[in-house]
Amino acid sequence: MAKLVIEISHAPFGHENAYSGLFAAMGWVSVGNEVLVVLRGNGVHVARKGQVDSLSEINLPPTEKQVMDVLGEGGRIVAERSSLEARGIEEDMMIEGIEVLETDAIHLLILEEGERVLTF
Amino acid sequence: MVEGRKKTVAMMLFSAPFSSQYADHMCHMAEKALEKGYNVEIFLYGDAVHAQMSEQRPKTFFPVGDAVRRLIEKGAAVYSCEICSIARGYIKGELKDGKKDYSSTKVIEGIRFCSIYGFVEMLGRADKVLSFGGS
Repeated sequence: MAKLVIEISHAPFGHENAYSGLFAAMGWVSVGNEVLVVLRGNGVHVARKGQVDSLSEINLPPTEKQVMDVLGEGGRIVAERSSLEARGIEEDMMIEGIEVLETDAIHLLILEEGERVLTF
Repeated sequence: MVEGRKKTVAMMLFSAPFSSQYADHMCHMAEKALEKGYNVEIFLYGDAVHAQMSEQRPKTFFPVGDAVRRLIEKGAAVYSCEICSIARGYIKGELKDGKKDYSSTKVIEGIRFCSIYGFVEMLGRADKVLSFGGS
């Protein structure tokens, strides 16, 4: 099965985008497919660890758990370095397993692996 | 026309009609793809499920509901995210005699509901995938 690329450029909680993108990623990877999730722009906030139990605190689905689930199923998640730096997010603030890549490397990945690309 | 085997294009819409033009663009693109001989499959996700509402009556905007109805009549398969539709009150989402009873007068005739796994299957059988909205 071809790889699915999911690009997330919205932060969690304020919009449904990040949750829905990770939900689709989980559906795809959980039936044995490969997925690449690209976090760019405000989407890099998805990478932050230590998020609250959002379901009980603010009635919104916890994207940190979704990230762990996607990684646990063998999915690949990358975050754009320049987007992280612009928002003051350092690598030790990130969920373990998310890779940090330069913009050029992300473009190449999308070109090479993005036969199916969904943007959220 | 598409040469040889009929190819399938899958389109995901993630934005509601009227608040942006993503739905308009998707409908135009789907119509063109049908014209060119593609199988067209559409997935309405998140707020895009509002494109399925049966009584849309925009005064000035592009009539998305009419366009969706026309696409179905021309052979497009339009699927709607069931969990998104349940959240927004389009369907009750209950099981009846072991089957999903998803009949709704609020929805354009011919809309089919499916879970995220239905969408995954759609992505798997598509030759091309296009995404509208969400960015």
